[in-house]
Amino acid sequence: MFSYYLKLGWLSIRRNPLLSILMISAIAVGIGASMSTITVNYLMSSDPIPQKSDQLFYVQLDSWDPNNQGDDGFEPPDQVTYIDAMALMKAGKAYRQVASNRSGLVLEPEGDDERPFSVDARNTWSDFFPMFDLQFLYGSGWDDAADQNMDRVVVLSKEINEKVFGGENSVGRSVRMDGMDFKVVGVLDDFLAVPKFYDVTNGAFNDPEEIYIPFNLAVEYRLDRNGNTSCWKPSDGDGFEAFLNSECIWIQFWAELRTEQEKQEYMAFLDAYVEQQKQLGRFPRPLNNRLSDVMEWMEIQEVVEEDAQVMLGLSILFLVVCLLNTIGLLLAKFLGKSGDISLRRALGASRSSLFIQHMIESAMIGLGGGIFGLGLAWLGLRGIEMLFGDFVENMVSMDWVMVLTAMALAVASALLAGLYPTWRACSIAPASQLKVQ
Amino acid sequence: MLSMQNISMVYRTDLVETHALREFSLEVEEGDFISVTGPSGSGKTTFLNIAGLLEQFTGGRYELDGRDVSSLSDAESSAVRNEKIGFVFQSFNLIPDLNLFDNVDVPLRYRGFNTAERKRRIERVLDTVGLASRMKHLPSQLSGGQQQRVAIARALAGEPRFLLADEPTGNLDSHMAMSVMELIAEINRDGTTIVMVTHDPTLAEMADRNVHIRDGQVSDITTDTQFAKVATG
Amino acid sequence: MEIGPIWRALMRNKTGAVLIALQIAVTMAIMVNAISIMQERARVMARPSGVDEHNIFHIASIGFAEDFNERVTVEEDLNALRALPGVVDAIQSNSVPMSGGGWSMGLQTEPGAEIDGTGVALYFVDEHGIDTFGLELLSGENFTATEIEWRERTQTKWPDRTIITRAMAEALFPDDPDSALGKTVYINDDEPITISGIIKQMQAPWNGWNGVERVMLVPTHTLFGSTRYIIRTEAGLRDELMPQVEQLLAEREKGRIVRSMRTMDETRERSYRGDASMIKMLTFTIVLLVAITALGIVGLASFSVNRRTRQIGTRRALGASKVAIARYFMTENFIISLAGVSIGAALTVALNMLMVETFALTRITWYLVPLAMLTLCVVGQVAVFGPAKKASSVPPAVATRTV
Repeated sequence: MFSYYLKLGWLSIRRNPLLSILMISAIAVGIGASMSTITVNYLMSSDPIPQKSDQLFYVQLDSWDPNNQGDDGFEPPDQVTYIDAMALMKAGKAYRQVASNRSGLVLEPEGDDERPFSVDARNTWSDFFPMFDLQFLYGSGWDDAADQNMDRVVVLSKEINEKVFGGENSVGRSVRMDGMDFKVVGVLDDFLAVPKFYDVTNGAFNDPEEIYIPFNLAVEYRLDRNGNTSCWKPSDGDGFEAFLNSECIWIQFWAELRTEQEKQEYMAFLDAYVEQQKQLGRFPRPLNNRLSDVMEWMEIQEVVEEDAQVMLGLSILFLVVCLLNTIGLLLAKFLGKSGDISLRRALGASRSSLFIQHMIESAMIGLGGGIFGLGLAWLGLRGIEMLFGDFVENMVSMDWVMVLTAMALAVASALLAGLYPTWRACSIAPASQLKVQ
Repeated sequence: MLSMQNISMVYRTDLVETHALREFSLEVEEGDFISVTGPSGSGKTTFLNIAGLLEQFTGGRYELDGRDVSSLSDAESSAVRNEKIGFVFQSFNLIPDLNLFDNVDVPLRYRGFNTAERKRRIERVLDTVGLASRMKHLPSQLSGGQQQRVAIARALAGEPRFLLADEPTGNLDSHMAMSVMELIAEINRDGTTIVMVTHDPTLAEMADRNVHIRDGQVSDITTDTQFAKVATG
Repeated sequence: MEIGPIWRALMRNKTGAVLIALQIAVTMAIMVNAISIMQERARVMARPSGVDEHNIFHIASIGFAEDFNERVTVEEDLNALRALPGVVDAIQSNSVPMSGGGWSMGLQTEPGAEIDGTGVALYFVDEHGIDTFGLELLSGENFTATEIEWRERTQTKWPDRTIITRAMAEALFPDDPDSALGKTVYINDDEPITISGIIKQMQAPWNGWNGVERVMLVPTHTLFGSTRYIIRTEAGLRDELMPQVEQLLAEREKGRIVRSMRTMDETRERSYRGDASMIKMLTFTIVLLVAITALGIVGLASFSVNRRTRQIGTRRALGASKVAIARYFMTENFIISLAGVSIGAALTVALNMLMVETFALTRITWYLVPLAMLTLCVVGQVAVFGPAKKASSVPPAVATRTV
């Protein structure tokens, strides 16, 4: 019977091509508009590392100004100081821990005609690579010893390896950056974190860095910092040493804690550490440390842009208009078929079979609208990409979840829109339309 | 077969009540061929609609095959229409988008027959009405008489025991009308009970009995053999 | 005229009318709120940055060689740039307005760590700063060449003098901003710094900051390893000079790279790209939405005309003129539209209240509501015109035909 209803639906859609096109277009436009904004919001709020996002915790220590509120009132600051980062690294109380910051280097390729260019760098620790599940094309990350010995080692992104070594296995070769020679130990495979969860402080939707070098090495050679630095009180004296010992925050600290117990133990450790620092005259505010897992941190940092949310709201209202439109047109269509419906009733079709028949017809229109809507959503995303440029390049691709969502939304919308017209169609009395042609 | 006692049908609007049928009683036996005549507005079509379970009535008792139909649910009365009753309309009411095969197929689909059974029945009834060779044609490609034959085939496909025809020849010329009437008479000879509404006295006489309706009541019943008046209840 | 009978006929067949009215109402709510957002964005984008935007470009210079001498490089770069024909003036600075990245500090009128400073954006400039940016000095005096200091990134000491914007003066001395000149304020909690000049206006690097007009100029050259040159050219010579400057800098010193050369116009474009895109997207949304609603009106009106063909024929047979028939449908639509925009006005205000509460959006200006009501009524009339015309061409003979 299902295939029979499909056939009837198809015939009915074909009978009024103009009306059908109008309905399919209305749904398609509504789906196109809402799906392009849903996709952007979905990607902005997606879990960038689903396999372990609940085991990775962003550490906040409230070392801030006792007198003045920051932008978020008396919330703990969003980065940590060098003193605290080093103390936590040294304690090593978490399963894995990483202090890192963003920097920039100038890379000098070999060969005289090659011009030097600047690269985005991340100063980090050996745990960074296993902690964030980074996949290597060649080689691997560096080890603990390299962290401690400040070895001049580097991990390259796939793109930079293409650019400098033509994509070959460059492990063991050397790259000259900021006047120093670094040994390549690993080349990453494609790596895209949307949002770039491990450093939302410096742009939640930036691309990952191009190279990775040991944190201690970067500090030792005073390599340029590129990220946000905030200070609530001046350093004690001039110079880099004074800066390192200041209350300025510029480092992101992540801890991997595999169980609730590990998390509680780590929190206790953080509190104890801060209490001990208070003895030394630091941490003037009341104890207020935080451990937030990846998704909690994304929430706190409000990584989903407000404009995206506004557009989402408006586009869903847009879909409502398109649905009201479709209800009207479906009503016109179904009531236009009252002769046919009345005849089928006379020939023994029950109300419920007519109900199913018309809901299937509505669903078919929804499916058509969904398919075209997907196309329009794709166009919409291209439009958004064109308008906003690089900033959104990682947020305008639809995965299969979005494709299925689009189809489901289209069919559900059409069924919803079809409900009232179908009910009206089923209420047509069997005898009413048979007498005159 | 069909037994109506004191059936009344009142259409109510805000302002007026219209009595389409009042105290309407009629018995139809298995195998009867009955014609129903009467002036315009006398209640012929209302009677036919009620008889065919197309409309609910306001009062009285109607038994079809000994079963009280007033208590049937929508699904039940749909099933009764589908299995026991065949309809033939003045304006044929074929579905223009469907070919002959698919038009005849419509009630069989609701009956739930399997594909082979439906195909067998469709071919048989189209053969009966002499249109087996034109199965793939659309209704618009046929003459009026042929279209009505298809409509009759559609009514017969479910092997109903009861055929209701509403002015089946009303849109046909006399030559075509005759051939359709012969087909209907033949169906009756094969055992199907037929009730036919018509305003044409010549056609009415082809039935075993003629029921004349006036002002929503049976005014008299004539049998073609006797032409004797029979009192009604 | 015949509003009574039209209304009664509508009431007997409400569904289609209700659907259209609701569609108009939701359309109006979206439209007005979207326009309100667009107005707000346009207002933000129209704010002047305070600098001579069309004639300024900037370029970053990053030293990397071990023997790179930043101080010498900066001095020689500036001399070379200022000597270029067509260049009005040039400076080294840490940032430019609207670039998104910069340095901020707090200034306070009394010393003390417990006092909340007023946030201010810093531009490190020399005595050419005012001329290069094209700023207007309202009072006080420009920096002199002798007072310009050289600063390492981690230095804590600040110069003795600063020039601030009028807006910063108002923020520091809300009671008497005119008195700001010559006053001493404190940076880093307790380090005194004297206000030696007031400029009329200049924006901070962050256009979304609520203190965007609070700026201070600091008489300092920087030794941060990476820096930015800001070059102001004579009118019309900017595009010609840009490649020259890039080449000059790249070839003058090989121990650094130059990159990110951009005009201020481009900087503005990039800075407000999100707002500009939002305006475009919302415009597109509104156009599409009104089109969908208009099509819906056309669709349902056509259906209603078809359904009433016989009735129309009868009216014509009874003596109604073509104009009268068309007017019937136009009036019917007007009644529906009026109901729609009335619900729409309420919906608009409700949606706006929700948006103001949820997001940092501004309230709608009142005149948008009647304007949108009028617009949608006109759209409705235009949309129904086609079907109404079709209705008026139904021949009276239809009445006698069985359809």
